[in-house]
Amino acid sequence: MDFDAIVVGSGISGGWAAKELCERGLKTLVIERGRHVNHRTDYLDFSAPWEVPNRGKVPEAEVAEHYAVQSQCQAFNSATKQWWVRDSEHPYSTPADRPYHWIRGYHLGGRSITWGRQTYRLSDYDFGANQQDGNGIDWPIRYADISPWYDRVERFAGISGATEGLDQLPDGQFLPPMELNCLESAFKKKIEQEFPRRRVTSGRCAHLTEPTAEHVALGRGPCQLRSNCERGCGYGAYFSSLSATLPAAQKTGNLTVVTDAIVERLDYDHAKRRISGVRVIDANTKQGRSYQARVVFVCASTIGTAQILLASQSEYFPRGLANHSDAVGRHLMDHLVGIGASGTHPGFLDRYYYGRRPTGFYLPRYINLTEKGDVDFLRGYGFQGYSGRSSWERAENEAGIGAELKDRLRTPGPWEMKLVGFGEMLPKADNRVTLHTTRKDRWGLPLVHIDCTHGENERRLANRANRDAVQMLLSAGFENVKPLGELRAPGHSVHEMGTARMGRDPATSVLNGHNQAHDVQNLFITDGSCMTSCGTVNPSLTYMALTARAANYAADRLASGEM
Amino acid sequence: MLLGAVLLVGGGAALTRFARKTDAFAGSSGRAFNAEQFALLEQVCEVIIPTTDTPGAIAAGVPEFMRQILEAWGTESSRAEIAGVLVAVEKLAWSKFGAAFLELAPDRRLEVIKVLDSELLAAKDSAYAKFKHLVLVGYYQSEIGATRELRYELVPGAWRSCVPLSEIGRASAV
Repeated sequence: MDFDAIVVGSGISGGWAAKELCERGLKTLVIERGRHVNHRTDYLDFSAPWEVPNRGKVPEAEVAEHYAVQSQCQAFNSATKQWWVRDSEHPYSTPADRPYHWIRGYHLGGRSITWGRQTYRLSDYDFGANQQDGNGIDWPIRYADISPWYDRVERFAGISGATEGLDQLPDGQFLPPMELNCLESAFKKKIEQEFPRRRVTSGRCAHLTEPTAEHVALGRGPCQLRSNCERGCGYGAYFSSLSATLPAAQKTGNLTVVTDAIVERLDYDHAKRRISGVRVIDANTKQGRSYQARVVFVCASTIGTAQILLASQSEYFPRGLANHSDAVGRHLMDHLVGIGASGTHPGFLDRYYYGRRPTGFYLPRYINLTEKGDVDFLRGYGFQGYSGRSSWERAENEAGIGAELKDRLRTPGPWEMKLVGFGEMLPKADNRVTLHTTRKDRWGLPLVHIDCTHGENERRLANRANRDAVQMLLSAGFENVKPLGELRAPGHSVHEMGTARMGRDPATSVLNGHNQAHDVQNLFITDGSCMTSCGTVNPSLTYMALTARAANYAADRLASGEM
Repeated sequence: MLLGAVLLVGGGAALTRFARKTDAFAGSSGRAFNAEQFALLEQVCEVIIPTTDTPGAIAAGVPEFMRQILEAWGTESSRAEIAGVLVAVEKLAWSKFGAAFLELAPDRRLEVIKVLDSELLAAKDSAYAKFKHLVLVGYYQSEIGATRELRYELVPGAWRSCVPLSEIGRASAV
């Protein structure tokens, strides 16, 4: 055996798998398909606005030719361009009338560099939702199974947040919250008065407000309120694989990382019911090679993981590895976004703030939970809120030039607020990732084909989220209140999940309650593909907790000789 | 472009001179501005963001930024749109005051750009929106615009969630 463990992917899930497996004494290989990246020295976070290439603009012709999909992500600019794939080099297909935005980057650390850093726990409402309304299958775990692992990953990652005592948004191990600004504090008071079952709290986020000794020992420091996060953070103030998990894994002496290695397939030995090898293609030379280990963690991201399993066909698994259930690639979900509302507030003109806070506030789900009745859809939504005073940008739409314009723009503009809805999508078998039957990429691997649409429940939920957001802003005294608009294409929230779901029954699910494949005992999958339903909260914290839990389970089994 | 929205009918002689002038704007593949266009651009930018108790657009390098950004970032069609705005400025100067923009006194330059700004923004003219966007980005995201006209710190180091505006003084550039 070359290694005790192989981890495919180095993003949020892969980084956690590497850390936990290495810390349990296992010689671990991380295989990353993208290029190597150096923490700090490869970031553009110390560039002032006038030093950023083209003031943030990516050339129009380059966007059209190479980044048509990736540029849809609001964090895409000239200082972050290195964190997105070129669509021209990494194509995928969809039906012509059913777009899907597959937003991603191929490099060490994956999307842990560009993630939104919002971190919330799922609750038993989420783990019980499928069983309650009969959509999808029941989760094989409940909150009590994962709660201690949330504790563990929150302490290590460093999560800033306020304790609220809500059943639908369990509290965690928090560093001090980033306080609400003047307008948000007034909004909170008003909303909690008018809608006593709703709550407004500081956005919980993976930022060090007060680093612990463990954080400092890894070279991480406190958040400096720059909000250059998506460029990478030289202070290591927010959690990423590069700032936290991979350095921790490295410290054990058990970590090996290979980059530019694209997993082509996993070889399966039916006599032993095990993965016998991980075949990779060198991204640059296109030469093939293979690695062996006792246990394999696939953390290649929801769509990437499905692609690898589907491509790993064998006599025993003609539909793809660990796919006797035919669930691999199915039940693709992504949070509903594009919904919510915005408005301006006439008050607080003598108040301002200092620093660029990298989070906002959160208004957790109430619909179909604490507020029931008069609802024509299942599940629900939460709102992330952002507010601040406008600056010079407002002049783009307002007439005015000369000394008068300069004078006016010296003073901040009115307060603005946005309520950004994140809605739950139901798991549907037809929302599906398959391999293209004819088209291949430059390495000869079949292209991914994504067919995913919103249904009637999603549309009804979106309408109500828009209506609620408008109503809340109006009731809090906002003006110019407008719904944000239409549902964006699936994929747009970059919360894709569900393509190798967990479940109790091997006939309907891919993974058991420990993220272990029902059909292949040394295969674990802990990225978003394992999610049996998608809840309403940002999912990365749950991937971290499930990964840590699965890695320690696997290490226990290896140690006891049961695997 | 909705140039018609700002065009008044000028005299015959003035239009003939205008036609001669605009010949110089023709053809600039890859390059954003020729020398004559750039001279006009500088003064238009300075009218939009003038020197007051802080430096204006020229001192902050806005015209040079626009040249650079249009060559490094813009497509041929963006360059044509921006050049079209300069044509509109020149047309309006001729039709309103019977002279080239650069020959006008400061108060008349201000009046030309004021009319252009209010009418083209009201008409939602996309070329002018792009022009004004670049002027504003060029100024307020320059070192002078961000740090002397407005407030900007690379490393704020702290979050103060609710403070009197008078303590901060001016709007933040980012």
